[in-house]
Amino acid sequence: MNIKFKTPFATAVAIGVGVIVLAGYFIPGLISLRFLFLRAGLVLAAVALIVGILNLFAVHFRKMAQNDDNSGYSLILVFALIATLLIGFFDMFQSYMFGQPNFQTISWLFTYIQLPIETSLMAVMAVSLTYAATRFLRRNLHTYAVIFFFIVLMVLIGTLSIFTPEVPFLSQIRQWIVQVPALGGARGLLLGIALGTIATGLRILIGTDRPYGG
Amino acid sequence: MTVTGFTGIVIIFLFLGSMFFFTLTRDQEKEKNLRQIPAFRRIKEVIGLTVEEGSQLHVSLGRGGFTSLQSASALAGLSILQEIIKASSVCDYPPVATTGNATISFLAQDIIQGTSKAISTEGHERSSVGELVGLTPFSYAVGTLTTIRENRVSANILAGWYGNEITWLTTAGERQNSPTIAGTAQLPAQAIMYASASEPLIGEEIFAAGAYLGKKPMHVSSVKTQDIFRWILVVLMILGIVLKYLGMHDIFQSILMGVS
Repeated sequence: MNIKFKTPFATAVAIGVGVIVLAGYFIPGLISLRFLFLRAGLVLAAVALIVGILNLFAVHFRKMAQNDDNSGYSLILVFALIATLLIGFFDMFQSYMFGQPNFQTISWLFTYIQLPIETSLMAVMAVSLTYAATRFLRRNLHTYAVIFFFIVLMVLIGTLSIFTPEVPFLSQIRQWIVQVPALGGARGLLLGIALGTIATGLRILIGTDRPYGG
Repeated sequence: MTVTGFTGIVIIFLFLGSMFFFTLTRDQEKEKNLRQIPAFRRIKEVIGLTVEEGSQLHVSLGRGGFTSLQSASALAGLSILQEIIKASSVCDYPPVATTGNATISFLAQDIIQGTSKAISTEGHERSSVGELVGLTPFSYAVGTLTTIRENRVSANILAGWYGNEITWLTTAGERQNSPTIAGTAQLPAQAIMYASASEPLIGEEIFAAGAYLGKKPMHVSSVKTQDIFRWILVVLMILGIVLKYLGMHDIFQSILMGVS
């Protein structure tokens, strides 16, 4: 006899915990239970992070052996992962055994390698966005695309400090666009997203959507 | 219980009741008249194309966590992944999923294995599923770029929580000549997607995937319920404007203070 126990059990646990956490937002007596479950969730998420990193390592280790264009990137990732881990252990050893300031080398790595790289990427993103806007107009030459492009252009020019002393109405137009139609549109979108979020949450709570157990 | 708490419970029960009501009284003929969302039509097209070409779909689930406000987008992405796996069961290569969050990568793997088992496609070759590609916004974006550039990947579906870094993913898809369908709940990222994705999912459209791709009764009912609540909000907002013009804008506050 083939008894399928796993999925109904997982569903029952998920629904039960979900209902208690949701009720905890509205019923003061359940707040402590809500925090207990949330804390347990955070611990599980931290464990998932460790397993996720092992998965990342395994995937790229496998990709490294493949003969394709991206295997070089995987090699760099695996090397950086092992190096950072070893440096982290070395730092930990230094801190606990010799009482040196905490994680100096790792801090150096983040401040002088990770941070500058991410900042450079942020700068490249500005170029990438401009490229996307021009491609958009070329790809979809319809009314909304033209409106989108000219509003982007107007807001950009209105933001530039070089123009504002000479053409003051541009900054006023920019301010109006940002505070009236853009804010109104954003609020409308947010209301829709809030309703979508409620619907998604409730579907999970009643077990219609099950992002666990398949 | 506070007034806010009571109101919250009432809204949730009304929402839930409405979803069940529409599920029980569903009319399958009328369900065909759901508003057309081009992005979902495109997803169906790319799945068909993937089957014909023997290529692979890439589903990016963003970097949203499971214990924060970003979870709704991530869950919507997982729902889309589930529908895509079902629809692409006859593909030579199963979809590859990438994420920037460890918990979501777990759930993605679980969904891929569970759904594949349910539709009996477990024997297919699967080189990589539910990959965690990076933990910070930029490392995630850079890690995902390598998947987008893989020769086997013919289309990208980005559904989850993203920041401005989404521009790299959408433009990379465009450079590879692979269609990119993208949806998120984050507003600045939505603006970028509108300009750079082949088909964007705007606003709450990302949450309607189950209704459009899977035609699930409860999903269709939740779309109808959202529409009803949207109209209620519109009426309340107009009422608020009228009351403000009449100088009675604090009437609700007075009522609530009286109740509490």
